[in-house]
Amino acid sequence: MGKYLLRRILQVIPVVLGTTLLVYALVFALPGDPVKAMFGDKPVNEAVAAQIRAEYNLDKPFIVQYLLFLRNALTLDFGNTFAGQPVIDEIARAFPVTIKLALMAFVFEAIFGVVFGIISGFKKGKWYDTVILIVSLLLISVPTFVTGFLGQYLLGVKWSILPVTAGNNPGFIDLLLPAMVLGSVSMAYIIRLTRAEISSNIAEDYVRTARAKGMSNRSVMLRHVLRNSLIPVVTYLGQDIAALMGGAMISETIFNIHGVGWLTYQSILKGEGNLVVSIVTLLMLIFVVCNLIVDMLYAVLDPRIRYA
Amino acid sequence: MTKNINENLVAMQRAHGPLLEVKDLAIDFTTDDKRAVHAVRSASFSVYPGQWVAIVGESGSGKSTSAMAVLGLLPGTGHVVGGSIKLDGQELTGLKQKDFDKLRGSRMGLVPQDPMSNLNPVWRIGTQVQESLKANGMDVAHEKRSALAKALAGAEVEVRGKDDETFLGSDKLPALMDAAKTALQEAGVSGEAYDQALAEFERDWVPGSETRWRVADSLVKAGLDEDKAWDIAKRYVTGSTMDDRIAGLLAEAGLPDAATRARQYPHEFSGGMRQRALIAIGLACRPDLLIADEPTSALDVTVQKKILDHLHMLTDELGTAVLFITHDLGLAAERAQHIVVMYKGQVVESGPSLEVLQHPQHPYTKRLVAAAPSLASQRIISAKERGQDAASLMEHHVVGEEKLEKSENIITVEHLTREFKLPRKKEMFKAVDDVSFSVKRGTTLAIVGESGSGKSTVANMVLKLLEPTSGKALYEGKDIASFKGKELLDFRRHVQPVFQNPYGSLDPMYSIFRSIEEPLRIHGIGDKTSRRKRVRELLDMVEMPESVMGRYPNELSGGQRQRIAIARAMALDPDVIVCDEAVSALDVLVQDQVLRLLNDLQAERGLSYLFITHDLAVVRQIADEVVVMQHGKLVEHATTDEVFDHPKMQYTRDLLDAIPGGKLQLGLD
Repeated sequence: MGKYLLRRILQVIPVVLGTTLLVYALVFALPGDPVKAMFGDKPVNEAVAAQIRAEYNLDKPFIVQYLLFLRNALTLDFGNTFAGQPVIDEIARAFPVTIKLALMAFVFEAIFGVVFGIISGFKKGKWYDTVILIVSLLLISVPTFVTGFLGQYLLGVKWSILPVTAGNNPGFIDLLLPAMVLGSVSMAYIIRLTRAEISSNIAEDYVRTARAKGMSNRSVMLRHVLRNSLIPVVTYLGQDIAALMGGAMISETIFNIHGVGWLTYQSILKGEGNLVVSIVTLLMLIFVVCNLIVDMLYAVLDPRIRYA
Repeated sequence: MTKNINENLVAMQRAHGPLLEVKDLAIDFTTDDKRAVHAVRSASFSVYPGQWVAIVGESGSGKSTSAMAVLGLLPGTGHVVGGSIKLDGQELTGLKQKDFDKLRGSRMGLVPQDPMSNLNPVWRIGTQVQESLKANGMDVAHEKRSALAKALAGAEVEVRGKDDETFLGSDKLPALMDAAKTALQEAGVSGEAYDQALAEFERDWVPGSETRWRVADSLVKAGLDEDKAWDIAKRYVTGSTMDDRIAGLLAEAGLPDAATRARQYPHEFSGGMRQRALIAIGLACRPDLLIADEPTSALDVTVQKKILDHLHMLTDELGTAVLFITHDLGLAAERAQHIVVMYKGQVVESGPSLEVLQHPQHPYTKRLVAAAPSLASQRIISAKERGQDAASLMEHHVVGEEKLEKSENIITVEHLTREFKLPRKKEMFKAVDDVSFSVKRGTTLAIVGESGSGKSTVANMVLKLLEPTSGKALYEGKDIASFKGKELLDFRRHVQPVFQNPYGSLDPMYSIFRSIEEPLRIHGIGDKTSRRKRVRELLDMVEMPESVMGRYPNELSGGQRQRIAIARAMALDPDVIVCDEAVSALDVLVQDQVLRLLNDLQAERGLSYLFITHDLAVVRQIADEVVVMQHGKLVEHATTDEVFDHPKMQYTRDLLDAIPGGKLQLGLD
């Protein structure tokens, strides 16, 4: 187990190098000159521009820029934004908001996804099973920005139940609607996954054997059907928590939440290479850690899985 | 003496009346378009207390369906539409699942067919046994009983009944042993008798399985007087913990080192061990009736015998009646007192085992008796050799003689050895260890052994699917390992395999025509029309209609698929066919058909077979020579008759004994 963990952790190194290089190259390839953009409508002062370029290493070739970024990153210095703010401060401001949002979305999708999936799986063919299936299909097929605007209009504007946008330093109520929108697609997937798992497990031979032992229907369902069905659901949820953090860009933009997604979007618009690469690297690390946790969890849940 | 006991048993059974009485049972399945399919029609049979009754029939005959109806566990859309099922006088048809819950486990148990899929992979074995005890309130009863037993331990209350189910606990076992030793010494038991008594105690006193009265009993037998024996038993046998009981049950089912095993998961068990665990589960709550649904059909013959022997002993001891479902008439006749034969959902014959076997009335039963591999006494003689077609018989001999001049042995294996590297182990594992034999042209050589004996590895080396570590496999005197390019292609053309699993060896995306045509196309034989003609011939050869050409494997039965696999192997007119457990996955009747087909083909075309199997019964029907393998080594090599009549090695004798019904006398008219 220890060896396996070490190997997995060492694997992170090439992944980090690869991702940062790729993202750096993409930002570099963005059309437009970020320095010129800083002057806005004013005429560009070439001397000042050259000075800014030198300060941010923008005058050097791509690969040198990248290596300089890496060297600084190793000492936890991610550089400054064009506005002079340390990148690390920007990230420190944005991340807590997104973590809060992702966790709320996670709880929402886990609870409702599993509950509706169980209802649907155990009562296959009933009218509410059909309703649950249709709704989940709708949520999967309709893009998030449609669900987002629809929720905003109905719950926020028309019936005024929930705040329309979140703004700075949002609280629980402010984030409720965005979290639901963010978690809706995954919730629909979890409903379908749980339902499919339950209906395939219910036909397993060991379920019949359990019944033959004289166990009550309730305990057969809990111990043999549900316990086995939730293994893939739990692993899906584990991976989804990372996806939720990175995938909040659309929800955060719709609801004006100043989290990671919003910050990434803004920094791409402004061509803030350092900021984009730093955020992506951080998200990638979260992703890798979540994956590792899921794999470990898998081994705990399913005794057949052992790592060596 | 035995007869007396049997008569008493029969008398007792009559007096009690049937434990299970099924009358005119009818079961339907509903298809998607709401039509009813009749799975079982007017089936009647009964099981008396303590009796083994076997239901025999091919797959789809309704035998499992009837048994599942008794348990109230019909799959999917199945439901009882008529007749009655009575357990001890209580009507079971129309019971709600809740009421069935109360009967299952405690009154009726199940030992299912496939040990691989019948244990939940995520729970420990012990937990799954425990569930059975808990579901029937046995755990509570235990604790109450142990509390009661503790209270009684000191008091002078007479508890000498045999119904007393107080089990020995593992914590008290050493103290009990010591007390027994002292008592024996005091009673003046010494020398050999003393050692023997102690050895018996060691063996019998399994915590969680041995009851108080039995401990007292064995102490009395060892030479103590009754009062002293009961005094010891009462003091030290004061009830077991749940863990002890679970381990005891598993030990009863024949699982060694049960306390440790109970903490393991199903995937850490072999098939045989899992089946033992399932037997422990089925019998955990001491049901009156145990339904054993082909409990050993997924296991090796030697394991099969051990497990059935054990199940027999256990149910005899507990007085459990067993409804035994099987497709093997020989097995049924050997194990059960009474046989019920089912065919297409109906009971076509039933009666005492020997009666059914020796004087089968219904044509289907006659076919079953004739086909049962375990009962067939000799090598199949092909239609041609029986003299029905003298001309082609002559021709075959001429072909044979011509080839004999080339060399007598078509395949020769010399000191063949194959080693495998085991994960996390330094030393190599010898799967095949210095094996030599040869296959004579136009004959069949069978390699026999349990799973893991290395027989399939030999086959793979003969087929050049694996390279030998050392030694040689020769085809027509040339080293198979040296074949390359054109020579290899030629070799592949002449040596063809037929594998065990007809479901896996045909590509599901290929039509039957394409599957059979493929080898012809690869070897560039003929054009489109002539290939089509050849495929037609081949289908004719394996007695399949031309109409299957456009169908796909999933539309055919197992036996039909195996015929297709044989047709494909025959496509290139090979000299040698390597059959790796080619009939093991098939029903007896189908198995018989396939064996006859192989035999006829051999007679017609002078084919040589290398036949790999674990089933000696099949060997007797097909082989001329037998090679017995154990742990990778060749342990015996002789003609089939010699092996059957005068086996030299103990291992071969074990294999022979494992053939179900091998010793039964048949009177086929």
